[in-house]
Amino acid sequence: MNIPSKAAALAASALLLTACSGRVQDNTSATSGGQVKLSWWMVTQNADTANAAFKSIIGDFEKQNPNIKVDLQYRAVDAHKDALRTTAGSSSGPDIYYNWAGPGLGGELVKSGVSLDLSKYYEQYKWADRFNPSTLAAYKQYGGYHGVPWTQRTEVVYYHKDQFAKAGISAPPTTYQEWATAAQKLKDAGLTPITMGGKDNWHVMRLLDTFIETNCGAELGDKLNTRATSWAGQPCVDKSFEQLKQWSGNYFNKGFAGLPVAEAGAMFHSGKSAMQLEGDWFTQQNIDAGDDQNNVGVFPMPTGTDRLYGFSEGMYISKSSKHPDEAAKFLDFFTSAAVEGKYLGVFSSVPVNKETKGENPLAPINTQIAELTGKAKGFFLNNDQNFSTDVTTEYWRIQNGVTSGSIAPKEAGALLQKFIDTHKD
Amino acid sequence: MATVSTAPTTSRPTHPSHRPRTPRRGLPVLGALPFLAPALALYGIFLLFPIVSAIYLSFVRWNGFPTVPQIWAGLANYQDIFTNDTVFHTALRNSVIWVVLSLVVPTVLALLLALALNNRLLGRNLLRSAFYIPAVLASIAVATMWTWIYNPNSGLVNSTLTSLGLSSWIQDWLGDPQIALYSVFVAFVWQTTGFSMVLFLAGLQTVPADLVEAAKLDGASAWQTFRNVTLPALRPTFTVVLVLTVISSLKVFDLIVGMTNGGPAQSSQVLALWSYSQSFINHNFGGGNALAVVLLVITLALVLPYLMWTLKEDER
Repeated sequence: MNIPSKAAALAASALLLTACSGRVQDNTSATSGGQVKLSWWMVTQNADTANAAFKSIIGDFEKQNPNIKVDLQYRAVDAHKDALRTTAGSSSGPDIYYNWAGPGLGGELVKSGVSLDLSKYYEQYKWADRFNPSTLAAYKQYGGYHGVPWTQRTEVVYYHKDQFAKAGISAPPTTYQEWATAAQKLKDAGLTPITMGGKDNWHVMRLLDTFIETNCGAELGDKLNTRATSWAGQPCVDKSFEQLKQWSGNYFNKGFAGLPVAEAGAMFHSGKSAMQLEGDWFTQQNIDAGDDQNNVGVFPMPTGTDRLYGFSEGMYISKSSKHPDEAAKFLDFFTSAAVEGKYLGVFSSVPVNKETKGENPLAPINTQIAELTGKAKGFFLNNDQNFSTDVTTEYWRIQNGVTSGSIAPKEAGALLQKFIDTHKD
Repeated sequence: MATVSTAPTTSRPTHPSHRPRTPRRGLPVLGALPFLAPALALYGIFLLFPIVSAIYLSFVRWNGFPTVPQIWAGLANYQDIFTNDTVFHTALRNSVIWVVLSLVVPTVLALLLALALNNRLLGRNLLRSAFYIPAVLASIAVATMWTWIYNPNSGLVNSTLTSLGLSSWIQDWLGDPQIALYSVFVAFVWQTTGFSMVLFLAGLQTVPADLVEAAKLDGASAWQTFRNVTLPALRPTFTVVLVLTVISSLKVFDLIVGMTNGGPAQSSQVLALWSYSQSFINHNFGGGNALAVVLLVITLALVLPYLMWTLKEDER
């Protein structure tokens, strides 16, 4: 090999190695000319109104605080989770990030040291007095305060009034027995009582969670869901799985197990089913799909505990943020009654700030949900937010095994407990 | 205007003095190194490093967060897979079923299609293209398409069965744990048969025409000609097809994610997807990487002996 060839090859090799050793971009907390740039990571919003609202909120904040610039970045749900995990503890992460407040999701980042304890800012901005206590509980469950509440999602049963009338149901059910009787009446009238998108495991899970709250009660339910007591040998757990099997066999839409939630929703919107178990975000989807709002009603899951089913979403400050003071200042603005009131109904129908006042443009259903939330004794949380992700995966496997007949309902609790016991670390 | 004449190309006469020189013993490796370095660097970064990293991670407990330390766990992750993992055995069984079915169904179909389309018939090239097109589609697009085909309410399969008066045959194709895996496999066959068909078609072009002709003159039947002339000539093609099939069937991922996500009740779970799910969904990177190592060992155990055997046979 002649010398020029060797030199060329060496140069190419050097170039390649140089290209492979690129530096990771420092994504956050840039400071230029006295201006602080806050990086804010959010999951992608499907509604244009939500995107416009975020833009407007940032614009208003930057006008009041010209030395702070907020850089909002959207990612799909899984990409958001991956990005938070891979950038944890590094300067590539965000200053502020969105997450669900449950211990299985937002809690995992708290436990992994990603979230900053905001006790100092709760005191400075009097946030402990700002938010509804039932919502705030999720943010102080780890000791100190992690994150600030952004939404309180409330899940209820949406129903078609005409189908209830056709089946001879005069009023929304208030007990489990009335609910089961109503489902049977709907079936007898040749209607599909309830739609489920079983391909998305969390949809069927909502009904199972509801049965557990109903049969076990609030106290034991909380102990089970936080794994403070055993799932094995609990008659109320066995009964819940038995009810799930009965409902899936008798009252769910045909072919529910392979159907995604979006299609289940489309069935409800088009009047092909009488009920669907959904959160307050479903109202807008129902309106967009053209369903007659005068024919749609909601009722809380009749658990008998006076607690509503739901979860909260919050905004957290990263422990690695170089500008937590500015991030807290933005969150104080973002969660203020003025801002929440201005955009009430865009992100959520239920305000988390006790002082928030405002017209809910999506009345009457969301107003009704907000009223239910105000009267509730508290919330019981979706179990995919209670559990760690591996326990959730197993919970879904067992739930689907019961609905498909491969797992006997009376074996379900013991199977789940066995998994919990062998996956404690 | 100047014209340029091109000398006719003629093959160089074979002469002892023109034989390629055998490399001299002890040629400096250093001289070749600069040329090899880029490829070696890419190989090391994108292949060797991930493998070594996966093997290392399979021996630690770690949730994937850089803020959380990796704790050495020895063989605990492997022990968990075989004793405490409620999905592993289903995933392993499904992967084995998938490999066995893949070796039989699309391979036989591809060979039959290749034999049919190797004959002169009207629209042959069009048909070859039609059968090959699914192979160039993204798996996730194929999954979306077949999910619609299997839709329990408005899908093509159930609608067709209804219009044919076969309503009793209607199934929840992707929602029934007994048949979900096989429903996805049908989509896999639809997607992959065309690729194997092209390989077989290429192989069929190498079958010596004079041997086929001689067999016919000797009175051999079509089956005898195929069995004793065509099939032996296709041996190298079979090696390629079978090895690629085993590898691609053990790696199957996108189709299952798109159609069932391993469900219902993990009934269509396979090793590659379960490895991913353990790491990126359940945040159990130790367990996920241990599964990846198990999958690697299974792949090597299946592919290497067959490759070595065929290479030895070829040397004879």
